[in-house]
Amino acid sequence: MKQSRKRILAPLVLVASLAMVLTGCGTSNLGGKKADSGAGNDGPIKIGAVLDITGVGASLGVPEQNTLNMLAKQLKDSGGIDGRQVQLIIEDDQSTEDGAAKATTKLIQGDNVDLVIGASRTGPSVAMRPIAEAAKIPMISIAANAVIVEGSKWVFKTAQNDLVVIQRILDDAKTKGYTKLALIRDATGFGEGVADTITKLGAERGISLVMTEAFEPSATDFTPQMTNVRGSNADAVVIWGITPSAGLAQKAYVQLGVNKPVYQSHGVANAAFFDAAGEAATGAIAPMGRLLVVDQLPKDNPQRDVIEKFKADYSGAFGDQPSSFAGHAYDAWHIAVAAMKKAGTEPAALRDAIEQTKDYVGISGIFTMTADNHSGLDSSALILADAKDGRWNLYKD
Amino acid sequence: MLTDFLQLTVAGLSQGTVYALLAVGLIAVYTVRNVINIAQGDYATLAGFGAIWLVTAGMPLLLAILVAILSVTLVSILVERVIIARVKNMTVLVSLIVTLGVSILLEAAMLILWGPEARSLPKLPGEDLFIGGVSIRSQELWMLGALVVVGGGIVFFYEKTKWGKALRACAEQPVAARIVGISPVMASVVAFGIAGLVGAVAGVVYSPIYLTIWSGGLLLGLKGFVAAVLGGLTSFRAAIVGALLLGMLESYVSAYVASGLRDAVAFFILIAVLIFRTQGLVLTPRQGRA
Repeated sequence: MKQSRKRILAPLVLVASLAMVLTGCGTSNLGGKKADSGAGNDGPIKIGAVLDITGVGASLGVPEQNTLNMLAKQLKDSGGIDGRQVQLIIEDDQSTEDGAAKATTKLIQGDNVDLVIGASRTGPSVAMRPIAEAAKIPMISIAANAVIVEGSKWVFKTAQNDLVVIQRILDDAKTKGYTKLALIRDATGFGEGVADTITKLGAERGISLVMTEAFEPSATDFTPQMTNVRGSNADAVVIWGITPSAGLAQKAYVQLGVNKPVYQSHGVANAAFFDAAGEAATGAIAPMGRLLVVDQLPKDNPQRDVIEKFKADYSGAFGDQPSSFAGHAYDAWHIAVAAMKKAGTEPAALRDAIEQTKDYVGISGIFTMTADNHSGLDSSALILADAKDGRWNLYKD
Repeated sequence: MLTDFLQLTVAGLSQGTVYALLAVGLIAVYTVRNVINIAQGDYATLAGFGAIWLVTAGMPLLLAILVAILSVTLVSILVERVIIARVKNMTVLVSLIVTLGVSILLEAAMLILWGPEARSLPKLPGEDLFIGGVSIRSQELWMLGALVVVGGGIVFFYEKTKWGKALRACAEQPVAARIVGISPVMASVVAFGIAGLVGAVAGVVYSPIYLTIWSGGLLLGLKGFVAAVLGGLTSFRAAIVGALLLGMLESYVSAYVASGLRDAVAFFILIAVLIFRTQGLVLTPRQGRA
């Protein structure tokens, strides 16, 4: 007995300690070619990008990576900016905050980039912010939460603010007479503050938040949280997350046979949502940009030509359709390039030029940045879409 | 309240079947070779991706699943022949390090071959049930069925057949087993084959509802390991019960306590077992199998 006890104990201790170490770490990143240092004012322009290429944000980061690579190639073919070649250096943050911080430091200190794009999600973007600010290098995030840019001099972003997304959801809920909402949200940065915002903006509309549940973006089983949501007396539920988790949450909710309406965030504006949720996707309503419903827009919509060209380029290069996240990367790239054409790469001048972006017609909306608004989009950038027949459809413009 | 509880139980049981299958694979290898196979969970993701890839290439679902399971069984046997069998002084520590290497290798290969995004197999045929407010997905029944057939089959194999008894003999009395003519090489190959088989079965049945992602295997394997520990690393039956309990407990904790604690449950249990009850759920004191 004594001996067998010892025999079992040794591997147990080993595995237990391994488990703690391993679950925290992934493999080293895939991208990131080492670049020669030394960017001057006439050498190649360097744009760094930090994306969630692996990990929970992969459904966002992969199309973003594709988009940036495609746009960099297009720019190269057309001769760069003022005769200077543009070099794109992409780093994978593995969907982690510390990965994003490390990658940003590497890009700024090691590669001397002139501007940094990223990250794909709010948490990593927030981790990048102080590094860009300390180095005084302009940064354009492609994630959503307003905290990324609030009060920042050097940081901009291209995804629609979560605030206006919540407004759109609450306005629709009000017209339908829902007074009680349940929220199930991403436990990472993207879901931070959403409950408070719904409570605050809901109060003005006579809508209250009756329960909040959270989930890790790596979660696969949502029955526990959704069982609790079912037990609440909410009129409708808001699922706030990204694919695939938000799609699986939708599936689990529909599976429980609640038959109450579901609102999703702009975090599911891609085809991957339908892969994860399957038939259960049908009926979900989500605010998002116009990319996925461009074929249903009126002919005179100013964004239509831009979006259609992007879709054609993207599907020509990669064989599938771009997601809204690809669109955020597209906008970040074009805003950056336009500012560089105007002001060159001296950081302060470049920053000022980005802040002066005006009426830029992009994929996610028409951007006008100001000193107080580093997001550049208002609620007109959003439409409401509903999920039907395996795709997003224009529900309300 | 009761329906909620039952709903959580159903969700926990189906999650538990995955842990149970992986635990069966871990024990099969540990009892015969004294090797803890960190790559056990990666067999599941590998089979999931393999089947998804074949289905995308146009193969019928059931055939794709079968081919994927057989291929992963072969992969596991190859791992044994090419890597494990060549290690001269195999100790538990060495086995952990070596199979960790295998796990990283498999994950990197999957990332390169199939990309970083999560994907899923089409679900197996069947209607979802809805009984008294409790929803049971048809896929969950398939998962349970897989555990009963495959897990049960392996328990039967070990306990009732001559081959199985020979394997156990190898584990308990390696020298004596060799004297009576049982080949330790064959025993090791069969054990790894079983590990590949059950891992692959788990991977293809859970993919339609939990999705398959390249990096998912490690955590799944560790949860399976916790279940195996509940079986004292030797008892299939206790490990299967432990796995189902673990799944249910995770489900209850995320609903009634906090969903963020879900993945911590398994490791709390691991620590508790380490301190208080190294034989896990095994009831009778085991005869030393030194």
